[in-house]
Amino acid sequence: MSWNAIEWYFQRVTGGLLLVLLSAHFWVEHFMTAPLRRGDLTFETIAARISNPVWQAIDIGFLVVALVHGLSGVRNIILDWGRLGPRTLRAVNLGLVIIGVVWAWVGITAFSRL
Amino acid sequence: MTPVRDVVAKYRWTFSGMVAWTLQRVTGVLLLFYLLLHVHTIGKLSQGPAAFNEAIATFRSPLFTCLEIGLLGVVVLHAFNGIRITLLDLGLGGGRQRQLFWTLTVGLGLVVFLAGAIPIFLFAVLKAG
Amino acid sequence: MDLDERMTVLDALIRVQREVDGSIGFRCSCRVGMCGTCAAHVNRIPRLLCSTLVRTLDSDVVTVEPLPHYPVIKDLAVSLAPFFAQWRRARPAFRPTHADAPTLAVIGKHSRFRQLSATKRDCITCGACYAACSITGMNARYLGPAAINKALLRVLDPRDAGGADRRQVLDHSDGVWRCHTQFNCTAVCPRHIDLTDSIVRLKRALVRPAKGLTV
Repeated sequence: MSWNAIEWYFQRVTGGLLLVLLSAHFWVEHFMTAPLRRGDLTFETIAARISNPVWQAIDIGFLVVALVHGLSGVRNIILDWGRLGPRTLRAVNLGLVIIGVVWAWVGITAFSRL
Repeated sequence: MTPVRDVVAKYRWTFSGMVAWTLQRVTGVLLLFYLLLHVHTIGKLSQGPAAFNEAIATFRSPLFTCLEIGLLGVVVLHAFNGIRITLLDLGLGGGRQRQLFWTLTVGLGLVVFLAGAIPIFLFAVLKAG
Repeated sequence: MDLDERMTVLDALIRVQREVDGSIGFRCSCRVGMCGTCAAHVNRIPRLLCSTLVRTLDSDVVTVEPLPHYPVIKDLAVSLAPFFAQWRRARPAFRPTHADAPTLAVIGKHSRFRQLSATKRDCITCGACYAACSITGMNARYLGPAAINKALLRVLDPRDAGGADRRQVLDHSDGVWRCHTQFNCTAVCPRHIDLTDSIVRLKRALVRPAKGLTV
């Protein structure tokens, strides 16, 4: 299976995962507890949940899936434009991976002081 | 030669598939930018409660709540059109890509959007007013 | 110029040539939608001039332009060179698996090939699909619907041996993966071939790890 085929396939898989994860995320952040239902979203009202390593793992997983889906989508837009030679394309791929890794790192380290 | 009725019907919404594609692209890029901003904001958790609460408070104003409603619309469009695309890719569309666009993406999308947007708007208006 | 109710766009153009401007250039041949010569942009949709009745068009004014995405030679006549360059890339020629077989290969009436290919065979290489696709507009390297559909026919054909190099062309970044199911091609094909379906079938086949290509 070529990389192109894998990318196409996983765009749909990650998309499906995001449907579930995003709906759950919305519920968790706005409806799971009474303070949140009141619209009271602060450090204090979410501290208990985000200190829990299980929730942290879920959130990081969610972030990684979203980044893969989004950056892969952007890659497709660039490829469609079709004006890039193979070397520039390799640079673009690298750039997207770097953005992904950096942003995943920002998300992961968000939990570092909890 | 194809009958007149067929020709007219065929071209009435000819490029709805292209509208869908453009929509998917635009909403996708918008959502990516939102994601990057969102992660950046949530990253403030590591700077302690004061910094985090301050960052969150910026986004509680009526203006940002309206933008949030817009975000819901963008998410819903992208998600439902994504489902449509996946159905078509699996060969489950039954040759009905146009109908799928109008009923699933736009129709169902609008329903879900309003189900979320109206309560949020009322809540924000009530809260602010 | 006022148009007669029963005219096709081609009829109108012939009258223009006769009565208004003898120098306008356009192509036509069979006049019955069989040869694919007269494709042009009619009210910004790629159509066969001979098969488009003016009364079916949604506006009072008919605008005819050369097909987009092709170099214009003169007026409405364009060069289909980009179309056929991609066509050739997809290895459209039939290469028999058993060139020296003593008996004819038989494709049964109820065979899978017969059933799947029935609606895909009628391509008249008019170039409308390539003109309609917005990806070919941006990216001259994209194979395009017609070439991919032709490749599908060969891939489906049990008598054809040309597997490996066709797979490579289709699996390339500028092959099937540049299609994003806009459906413009399917909407404009004068032979009503479901081109997007052809491309999607190949995408699904390429996701399978097999070295050969089974659709």
